[in-house]
Amino acid sequence: MTDLNIVALVSVGAHPTSARPRRAEQDARAVELGLRLAGQNLQLLHAGDPQAEALRGYLGMGLEQLDVLEQPEGADALPLLVDYLQGSRTQLVLTGSQAETGEGSGMLPFLLAERLGWPMVVGLAEVEKVENGVAQVLQALPRGQRRRLKVRLPCVASVDNAAPVARQSAFGPARRGQIEAHEVTVVDDTLLAEASLQPAKPRPKRLKVIKAKTGAERMKAATAKASGGGGQILKDVSPQEGAEAIFKLLIEEGVLR
Amino acid sequence: MSDIIRRDPRAEWIARNRLHPLHASMQKAETSWMGPNGIVRKNPHVIAAGFVGPAGLKRIDRSGAQQGTVGKRSNASVEVQLPLHIIEQPAFHICVVPDMVGGRLSSHDKDLLGLARKLAGDSGAVVAVIFGEDKEGAFDTAGVDRLLRVQGDAFDGYAPEARVLALSAVESQLAPRHWLLPDSRTGGGELGRRLAAKLGERPATRVWQVAGEQAIGRAGSGQQDIQRALPRLILAAAECAEPVSDTRHEVRLLELAEKVAHSLPRVEDLGPVAVDPAQIPMAEAEFILSGGNGVKDWKMFHQAAIALGATEGASRVAVDDGFMPRNRQVGATGTWVTARVYLAVGISGAIQHLQGIGACDKVVAVNMDPGCDMIKRADLSVIGDSAAILAALMERVATWRQEGKRDAA
Amino acid sequence: MLNTLLPILLFAALTLAVIGAAKRFFMWRRGRPAKVDWIGGLLKMPRRYLVDLHHVVERDKYMSKTHVATAGGFVLAAVLAIVVHGFGLHNRILGFALLAATVLMFTGALFVAKRRLNPPSRLSKGPWMRLPKSLLMFAASFFIATLPVAGILPPDFGGWVLAIILAVGVAWGVSELFLGMTWGGPMKHAFAGALHLAWHRRAERFGGGRSTGLKALDLNDPKAPLGVEKPTDFTWNQLLGFDACVQCGKCEAMCPAFAAGQPLNPKKLIQDMVIGLAGGNDANFAGSPYPGKPLGEHSGGPHQPIVDLNGKALVDAETLWSCTTCRACVEECPMMIEHVDAIVDMRRHLTLEKGSTPNKGAEVLENLIATDNPGGFNPGGRLNWAADLNLPLLADKGETDVLFWVGDGAFDMRNQRTLRAFVTILKAADVDFAVLGLEERDSGDVARRLGDEATFQHLARRNIATLTKYRFKRIVSCDPHSFHVLKNEYGALGGNYQVLHHSTFIEELVRKGSLNLGQSKAASVTYHDPCYLGRYNGEYEAPRAVLKAIGIEVKEMERSGFRSRCCGGGGGAPITDIPGKQRIPDMRMVDIKETGAELVAVGCPQCTAMLEGVVAPRPEIKDIAELVAEVLIEATEVAAKRPAAKRELAEVQ
Repeated sequence: MTDLNIVALVSVGAHPTSARPRRAEQDARAVELGLRLAGQNLQLLHAGDPQAEALRGYLGMGLEQLDVLEQPEGADALPLLVDYLQGSRTQLVLTGSQAETGEGSGMLPFLLAERLGWPMVVGLAEVEKVENGVAQVLQALPRGQRRRLKVRLPCVASVDNAAPVARQSAFGPARRGQIEAHEVTVVDDTLLAEASLQPAKPRPKRLKVIKAKTGAERMKAATAKASGGGGQILKDVSPQEGAEAIFKLLIEEGVLR
Repeated sequence: MSDIIRRDPRAEWIARNRLHPLHASMQKAETSWMGPNGIVRKNPHVIAAGFVGPAGLKRIDRSGAQQGTVGKRSNASVEVQLPLHIIEQPAFHICVVPDMVGGRLSSHDKDLLGLARKLAGDSGAVVAVIFGEDKEGAFDTAGVDRLLRVQGDAFDGYAPEARVLALSAVESQLAPRHWLLPDSRTGGGELGRRLAAKLGERPATRVWQVAGEQAIGRAGSGQQDIQRALPRLILAAAECAEPVSDTRHEVRLLELAEKVAHSLPRVEDLGPVAVDPAQIPMAEAEFILSGGNGVKDWKMFHQAAIALGATEGASRVAVDDGFMPRNRQVGATGTWVTARVYLAVGISGAIQHLQGIGACDKVVAVNMDPGCDMIKRADLSVIGDSAAILAALMERVATWRQEGKRDAA
Repeated sequence: MLNTLLPILLFAALTLAVIGAAKRFFMWRRGRPAKVDWIGGLLKMPRRYLVDLHHVVERDKYMSKTHVATAGGFVLAAVLAIVVHGFGLHNRILGFALLAATVLMFTGALFVAKRRLNPPSRLSKGPWMRLPKSLLMFAASFFIATLPVAGILPPDFGGWVLAIILAVGVAWGVSELFLGMTWGGPMKHAFAGALHLAWHRRAERFGGGRSTGLKALDLNDPKAPLGVEKPTDFTWNQLLGFDACVQCGKCEAMCPAFAAGQPLNPKKLIQDMVIGLAGGNDANFAGSPYPGKPLGEHSGGPHQPIVDLNGKALVDAETLWSCTTCRACVEECPMMIEHVDAIVDMRRHLTLEKGSTPNKGAEVLENLIATDNPGGFNPGGRLNWAADLNLPLLADKGETDVLFWVGDGAFDMRNQRTLRAFVTILKAADVDFAVLGLEERDSGDVARRLGDEATFQHLARRNIATLTKYRFKRIVSCDPHSFHVLKNEYGALGGNYQVLHHSTFIEELVRKGSLNLGQSKAASVTYHDPCYLGRYNGEYEAPRAVLKAIGIEVKEMERSGFRSRCCGGGGGAPITDIPGKQRIPDMRMVDIKETGAELVAVGCPQCTAMLEGVVAPRPEIKDIAELVAEVLIEATEVAAKRPAAKRELAEVQ
């Protein structure tokens, strides 16, 4: 554990299947990372409605207090957070990669870093050590890979699903925790005026477009067996033949590298 | 080339000589092959098509020895030249920053270039901005009108801050109408957002469709779409548009007018960290080799996972029997996986297991029992001894890797 | 000389025993308050002891007779000894009565000693090996000392030598039997046991009653502890109950987790609670330890946490999470101790305060909160399994005879076969039924057993609110867990319903002749009693009657009925998944295979899933509903009429 001043920015999430409010998955991972680094010194910060029940999900992870910069729905959280953080002695701001509700563009940590003039680390997985105001961290890459980075503090770091899984939120501490609301000036977000949210349309799977140059090719494309529907079964083949078939599929799918 | 059919005695000779290095390439129009159900299929038409002999008479040779002259040996160069799309004086630029994973355009990059092409129309030019060395040889057919290579040590490795500075320089030089970056985890998503923050643009993210002047992207946790006017900066998802396929482009090289301002990186790349593939969380894994009750040689199973570069998974039974740790269990009661390829070895396919692999793209089953449920689910099944098949597969992959090395060298 | 020595010994022992009793009593009272019927309980105690408790002990005839002789002889002898020797009432008749009592006790004690010659592993050794000797000593000493009273021997027979020998014998006897009772010897069970019966936390269990629902936590009081952290967080009569344990190990012998080598032994757990009550460590525990956990490493005290998540305290968390809540221990316990209540109480603390539900526990609870089902499936897909069945929705009908409670099995592809089979039966019998459809939620069973009382109450209250909107006569469910929770645990939150398990309901249909059944072709069949149907709700007969009605003769397993062995699927055990040496369902499958059956009939989605998880080759597993649906004969006439009738209805609407 380090004695860093860490702030975890948390938001109200939405469950992926039921869309019910909950603690946001990535934000909770950010809190988990913060708890591992700073223990009870971790500060939780939210911009929005202090009455939101889902915020208690973060307190249930074992923290006593959560600060809320009170603002209505649809307001821009960025200026408030910049103001708040500029005045604090925060060294590390942890946040999820993108919100589970609203636009969810994932821009907030970048904008925050830009406005504060701090460096930004994407996909923080682990803080290895902090020395002389420089942190050595591991960054998560796709397919479970890791990269080691050195970053000057203070900085903003976002975590994604590669960060450690958030601990369980317990009912007792969630009920006891304090939600401290702060009054701040509200800045409206202009986007919502010009953009519209709608239920997600399922994206059709891309069809294999066959650009036929000759009649024979067109014929072949039209009569080829459609993919799917009953797999191919190789019986009574030598292990080599079987392996060859599997190998071909692995190459086709591009998973061998 | 004339259309007269001629015998090619040399080709026939090569086709007969199995030791000849070109032997394989002379094997044309297969007359028999293994069908999808494991039955050997013959194509009588190929044989019956015969060939025209030297005397101008049609000959049919059912011995299968007629390869050398079956049909017309079409030359590779016959490939149709796609029309070249030339933009001499672009009215505006569309800048694309492809991910260039492994130095090549990924399919995501190509989709993005397709989208850029659409936005560029007849008068705009698509500019691809790439960093460092590349191995791509097909920028022309991917739709790149102008190519801007930003080179220098500062941009190598993980250098998002330097790259953003370079892109800002491009911004001031070309003032592109749109910036397009792939909203990917392999770099584009991050670079695009950094650029947006730098330029003060509000990007449209996770865009999956651009229709007219509107962009539609996923919002929140993917349960909603957000539709908005097309902004300058677009972070597009894979398959946002069809890749370019009908035209060739100039790939005219551009240079940066000014040197990119150099600044001390605040985020320093210390290089990749070795990660044990066994430690990769299964839900994230792209390729899973999963073992079940039918696996007898677990040591070899682990070796196979390493050889294939696959993440290990297991059925409940294998976990219960102590061969694999609990966090490797796949299924409704274990982890739900989303792998692109799920290779199930010796797993009969309990319903909970099949539920857990529901989201996998391709399932390959290796099993002794042709009647088991896993085989009904699998896209490809090989019936036989799993140890022998895994051994053969490891060998096959090993030779492939060696070939790959030779190619690269 | 004996005449002066004996009263001193007796009264000294009695005084010390009373002091010890007071001390012990205040030890129990350190627990949280509980409502008990102080006087009424004491008055009912003898009946509870002689009838209810005896019924349990009677399952082991040898021990029952031995205990009647020993305990009966002792109580009689002790009372008479106090009268005769303590108060010096040297009446000859009383003397003979005392002699008879000591003979009775001596005979009983001989059998106790015999049992102890080569004791089974479930019995505790240590001080318990001394007990038969003490009993014999007590009986023999008082026998000889009483001979003169009865006039068989002259008053001063034997002189001071015998007097001293007798005095020593009596001293030994009374210290074990009077002092030991209240100062923590083996005889403590008699004293604590009697009071435990008087002030039992589930008084409904006596007189043939059944009380199996977990007790609700008061979540509205922010000061009330959420579950049990330290021994004093138990209610005081729970602590008293732990003290009543005789360490007979019947629970240990029945516990599926113990047999599977998981780190749980119900007897040791209760003894650990006693250690916690008094303070100390478990080095002196004289029975089998938790599998894989050596003795002497754990210790605790009344105000110390029972579980330390980062080290060792009194009990390890995985011990608590090994329990399948199958209640086999409670069913077997001759002292009627409530092991499962205690385990769930401690789990509540771990989940509600510590947030440390192991393995998939946290995920399951999160899913229950966010999607009302443990799998995290889209709640909108709850009725997908019945998309083609055209099930009547209660929301449309408003009123129905039978509310079919589908349960979370609706999301499980295997269980959907059972559900469909049951719908076929309902339709064939022309039952007026309906389902809640998307309005149904998880019953809260798993959440509650995992200690998440808050989520349970949240789910239960919303289910109750839904049910209040409609009118129905009965609820029928294919899931014994939902059945149990709806029937026995919703009452405390204001939901009282008549709930039936589907096997009971099918049996009723069969009896009424509403079903036209053929004969099953299944050759040899055994039946596995689900814990939540059998032990929790006493339904052993209906499933067997249904199987009989379709021509199946059940080949009973050795452990069936109230002794049925758990499948390993209850209490969230597959979710918390504590490793052992073997798996509980594998052991149950061995039980099944021993009968030679080719098919095992079940009545619970959990049992189905657990037993089907056993590696083939193994007998086939089918739900009773599936077996019945297979042999339904749809009379051609009926079949011809019904569609027409339906069409008419549709037109009317």
